[in-house]
Amino acid sequence: MRLRSLPLLVLALVLAVASLTDAQPKDTLTIALPSHAPTLDPHMHFERVGVLVNINMFDSLLHRSPKLEYEPGLATSWKALNDTTWEFKLRRGVKFHNGEPLTAEDVKYSFDRVTEPGKEKKKSPQYGNIRAIKEVRIVDPDTIHIVTDKPFPLLLERLVYFCIVPKKHIEKVGDDAFGASAPVGTGPWKFVEWKRDQYIRLEAFDGYWRGKPPFKYLVVRAIPEVATQIAEIKTGGVDLIRSVSADILPELKAHPQTYVSSAPILRVHQVEFDMRVPPFDKKLVRQAANYAIDKQTLIQKIMGGLGTQVATVVQPPAFGFDPEVKPYPYDPKKAKELLAQAGYPNGVDVTLHSAEIAVRPQFEAIAQMLTEVGIRVNARVWDPGPAWNKFFQADGKATNGAYFTWGNYSVFDADAVLHPVYHSEVGGWIGKHYTRVEGLDKLIDEGRSTLNRDARKRTYAQIQRMIREEAPSIFLFTQYDTLAISKRVEYAARGDEWLWLFDARPKR
Amino acid sequence: MTAFVVRRLIRLLVVVIGVTLVTFAILHASGDPVALIMPEAPEADRAALRQALGLHDPLAVQFARFVGRALTGDFGASFFHRVPAFGLVMERMPTTLLLTALSMTLALAIALPVGVYSAVRRGRAVDQLATGTVFLGQSMPVFWTGIMLILLFSVQWRMLPVSGWSSWASVVLPTATLSTFTAPLLLRIVRSSMLDVIGLDYVRTARAKGVSEWVVIGRHALKNAALPLVTVTGLQFGLLLGGAVITETVFAIPGVGRLIVGAIRQLDFPVVQAGVFLLAMIVVTVNFAIDLLYVYLNPQIRVR
Repeated sequence: MRLRSLPLLVLALVLAVASLTDAQPKDTLTIALPSHAPTLDPHMHFERVGVLVNINMFDSLLHRSPKLEYEPGLATSWKALNDTTWEFKLRRGVKFHNGEPLTAEDVKYSFDRVTEPGKEKKKSPQYGNIRAIKEVRIVDPDTIHIVTDKPFPLLLERLVYFCIVPKKHIEKVGDDAFGASAPVGTGPWKFVEWKRDQYIRLEAFDGYWRGKPPFKYLVVRAIPEVATQIAEIKTGGVDLIRSVSADILPELKAHPQTYVSSAPILRVHQVEFDMRVPPFDKKLVRQAANYAIDKQTLIQKIMGGLGTQVATVVQPPAFGFDPEVKPYPYDPKKAKELLAQAGYPNGVDVTLHSAEIAVRPQFEAIAQMLTEVGIRVNARVWDPGPAWNKFFQADGKATNGAYFTWGNYSVFDADAVLHPVYHSEVGGWIGKHYTRVEGLDKLIDEGRSTLNRDARKRTYAQIQRMIREEAPSIFLFTQYDTLAISKRVEYAARGDEWLWLFDARPKR
Repeated sequence: MTAFVVRRLIRLLVVVIGVTLVTFAILHASGDPVALIMPEAPEADRAALRQALGLHDPLAVQFARFVGRALTGDFGASFFHRVPAFGLVMERMPTTLLLTALSMTLALAIALPVGVYSAVRRGRAVDQLATGTVFLGQSMPVFWTGIMLILLFSVQWRMLPVSGWSSWASVVLPTATLSTFTAPLLLRIVRSSMLDVIGLDYVRTARAKGVSEWVVIGRHALKNAALPLVTVTGLQFGLLLGGAVITETVFAIPGVGRLIVGAIRQLDFPVVQAGVFLLAMIVVTVNFAIDLLYVYLNPQIRVR
């Protein structure tokens, strides 16, 4: 019996294969991300994979051009009235996907939804980004004022990704349905269907104020495995994949159906020291570690040349970057001397951790370079979950240091890296546990407490000279974002790691 | 018979409780989910969330609460998705079960005829080929097999889709991948138990009666040779579910395994607990069914 049905099975398979069409319809743009965010509600998650979808469905008050300059979004103009009050003029004639017009009420509602004035517990994980906003005031139907509790120089940066949502609609369907099955924005594509862990299907919004997007459909597939993503783009199953690593670049560059586009981004690599305990409580040891690393070789050999050496953690495209501060040169001899001076003529043993599987090759190379000058590294790589426990919950338990990359949440400002990474008080992130540099907290606070750009630049120049000398980290490099794109689509990688697919065009 | 069933049921219960306890302990030893839910928030906000999620209670209290709720089918809400974990798992369960069942069927469809044939034609070309393939199949990790099949059938020959779960065509490669994991072992079992049986007296007697060779094999020998196969099939079912975790990731299939892997990364305790619990229930149930089937097939056990 079983044997008799076998030919039938084979026949069925052949038929299934024959009926298969793997070529994409011309008007559909399909991209692959490793996963989907838990919700399509732009305010209720903080995951990059979610942001990349949300920006194509929603608009913010400000937008960023491919050259990374501010552009009008839902606000047509803006200015600071004083140190704590900003005025925004709203664009007229903008419609939500459900046909309702955008009003100042919607804008105020969007902010209140995240800041929840008067509430003790906030439900949005993005609250921290805009916690400085005290009040949003409607002045007239086209004008709003945003009032901050103290001068907040990062406001405009934060408003580039702060999606405006429809008040009436959300009040009608509720928060949960809005995020799961009924998201409505003002952006280029509107929601059609979401099959969790499979795909999100969006359709061009005819009434979009910028005009109709070139692709009628946008499909966002969730494909966790990199090798699978690569096979998909080679066979035309998807048109765009992100974060292509250096080892497969040549293959995708040479492939007849794909090309590669990359752009330098903010993501900065560093090994942050636990300065509370030996040996990295000593400045000389920290400097020795910086001299021990051959950054240029790492960039060439491991990252395919797609990296830029940096002098500190402040990235060249960020506001406040000071080109006068130069990177540590590679000088292993000097590293050994400094180590001896610090009281470790026979070297010292340390344990370093990393929670980022993607940088494992870099991490292991660095561990080897440090070991060669006498800082003998036991390098350990963790899954993110246990790692967080290891580094941040274990207060008082020394860990020596950790390899981190930081992408500033795409905020092009020195504060967005200095505060989370080095500030040692509440609100600080890693710095709270690791960094102990006298006077640094005060300078970081100073940099974020005025809107005066020149004064801020001076403060950040001072900070960069200070941390270059004090070396709270091994300063490494910034990386590139690298996309592989199907030749039937024209698009270029952006310096803010966004996939702003309104700019993607079909190629003839 | 009743005593037998009761004994088995008690053993089931012990296994399920054990799995739950181990999952719970490992998860809670692995880190603080709140740090992952709100990485940039000040400690006060995090403490509030920990309070809300009940993570500040002693572990024993948390476990008691978890078991109490689990008995009513309530595994708590996913920390990240903010919907009941049970629903998230059940939504994906049919996909995983379908993948597993198809793979098991395919594995059996290969193992039975080939295993019998190579036992009967022991030492001949087919047998040698089959034995060689068994070694090959068993030494290939599922992950690698999956990628290789994609490279050949999708990238090179363009016959099948790379990944996804949208058409029957997309089911072929994952099923084949998972079968290469199980088929070799089953084939070996079939072959060796068949070899044991065809040397026995009753088979020789059947032959002596003049019964045709394939009837001897199919009707007389196979029945007895199938007993170990049944046992191993039950055990393999659990392994297949485990293999499905990897296969689902490689082929981007929306199944329970992939959900659990993602949840482990994020320390989404309720989802991991619900997923592991339900998978354990399935494995245990299948093995229970196999035990019963075994009794039916082998009356000797009933006597014991």
